[in-house]
Amino acid sequence: MASVFSMPNDALRDSLAEKRWLNALGKGDPSALGGLYEMYGERIFRYTFRMLGNRTDAEDATAETFLRVLRRSTELRADGAFRTWLFRIARNLCIDKMRQHKLMELPSDAHYSGSEERATLRVTVQQALSDLPIEYREPLVLCDLEEMAAREAAEILHISVPALKSRLYRGRRALRDKLGGTLERTS
Amino acid sequence: MNNELYSKLVDLYAGNELPAELEDQMELAAAGNAGLNHDMTTLRRVVDALHNLEDPEYTEESYHRILMKLYSRGVDIQPREPVSSHFQYNLPLQG
Repeated sequence: MASVFSMPNDALRDSLAEKRWLNALGKGDPSALGGLYEMYGERIFRYTFRMLGNRTDAEDATAETFLRVLRRSTELRADGAFRTWLFRIARNLCIDKMRQHKLMELPSDAHYSGSEERATLRVTVQQALSDLPIEYREPLVLCDLEEMAAREAAEILHISVPALKSRLYRGRRALRDKLGGTLERTS
Repeated sequence: MNNELYSKLVDLYAGNELPAELEDQMELAAAGNAGLNHDMTTLRRVVDALHNLEDPEYTEESYHRILMKLYSRGVDIQPREPVSSHFQYNLPLQG
């Protein structure tokens, strides 16, 4: 109980709102899905966009993620693991889509702003990230881009924390190798 | 220092996971070792570049298109505001 009172106000409010929506959904109130979509829609969209590299597929995957939440609402438990479960659903959908359409071979439609040099670096980093093997890309997206804690990222990927860290560190080195001198030229 | 430990320290340094005191020691060691300096600097730049990547833009259009996809699958879900008419129809312009 003490940990709840020590939570920052925003986190506590989100946690209580999440519990309220999950309880409502568990009782068969389908309109509760709207509350969960307001809470997590943007994060799931961002994650699926980063995994799939284009807006249309990210929108499809996000909608399908929330549809599966509704269909599996009897499995829901308001015990704090909902976000991990939600990301797992989104991840599985992304992997299915990549397998079906071989999206990794398609060009990304990500757009970046900023100065020309920085924009070029971002596009280069994004492309290099897309070219990494999936076992390296996933930890980088979850930990370095989504800024998720190692423990939660490991749970989403169904691997141990040491295995996650190993993939994360190898992924960063692989990305550096792909970027070559780009980082030095733009530093 | 063996290679495995060396790599581990550089990985931790790149991810800003070292205590400040150990980080200072690493930087001191790198000052006299070009290879170590290059390894530490370039790997940290990779992490910084990843952290500086912009988030994909979550537009109002995307928000509503996702809602529409859910509606079309029979989900009872309410938008935070009424859907604008231009999200419902996409007519060609003729002049």
